[in-house]
Amino acid sequence: MKTMRIISLLLFVSAIAVGSLTAQEKMSKDAWQSEMATFQQKVADLNAQITKLTSDRDNLKTQSDKLDGDLRSCEDALYAMLGVTRADVEAFDKELADMEARVAELQRMSDAELLNHRDEIERMNTRLGEMAGSKIALIPRYGSRVQALKEKVDGLMKSLQREKTYTVGTWSRDRDCLWNIAKKRDIYANAWMWPKIWQGNRDMIKDPDLIKPKWVLKIPEGKELSKAEKSAANSYYRKRASGPASD
Amino acid sequence: MTRALKPLLVAAFLGVGLFLSSCSSSPSDEELRMLEDLKAQATQLEGKVSELQRDKAGLEKQIADKNAKLQQCQSDQEAVKKALGK
Repeated sequence: MKTMRIISLLLFVSAIAVGSLTAQEKMSKDAWQSEMATFQQKVADLNAQITKLTSDRDNLKTQSDKLDGDLRSCEDALYAMLGVTRADVEAFDKELADMEARVAELQRMSDAELLNHRDEIERMNTRLGEMAGSKIALIPRYGSRVQALKEKVDGLMKSLQREKTYTVGTWSRDRDCLWNIAKKRDIYANAWMWPKIWQGNRDMIKDPDLIKPKWVLKIPEGKELSKAEKSAANSYYRKRASGPASD
Repeated sequence: MTRALKPLLVAAFLGVGLFLSSCSSSPSDEELRMLEDLKAQATQLEGKVSELQRDKAGLEKQIADKNAKLQQCQSDQEAVKKALGK
């Protein structure tokens, strides 16, 4: 009797377990209905959202197109006031942008490197003067850009005017003599230019074969020797050829 | 014996009844497909909503930029008028 009761209890429990497991694997009708209702609502909400967003987007597009028209009319009126065309302004803008980029590059260069771009910087300075005087520069956004660029180019011009110097190192470490100094890339990149340094520093250099460490030599500008420098060099070579230096 | 079998029979009936009831309340394959289709549609619509929201944000930014440019142009006009003494 007791055994039968235990068996029937086990049967009952296992039937419930199997039933509930099957129910978990397969969705119940109630759960399906609930999910259907949830997703139908979601789809309806999303459709409503899409309708509203589409309408908003179309309105914004119309607004944007209208602003394009307004902006163009405003610019046309502005250019007409100045007696210039849109193409003139675009060319001005491009030239200015190119110069801004070039000046940024030049600003990153050392004073010595800048010397190699002297002509370019001077041309730029002249051109900026012309641009500052043009009608287009009356438009504040261009006027201020030209002014800002002019200030930068003025800074570059000042760097060019700064006297270039070289501090003599030791022979043992730097092999510094006028010949070798002139040969350096950031000096003249040409050893034959050594008389220029000599003549530019006559107050210090009495004998071009003798320079002392820590002397600060001026490096005069120029790409070739002047007449006086050539003549000084020739007399030095003659003196060397005729015998040892007397002083 | 009959008394002993009675709980066993009751348990068996109840168990089978429960098992059958769990089977009979499942949705059909057709209904399940409907639900899957609905879910896919919702996912697709969510994508469309995201796209429209991106478009809207982009246009709003464009409009803000254009408004700023228009204001700049109007103030440029005033400045040029002054400079030309008009």
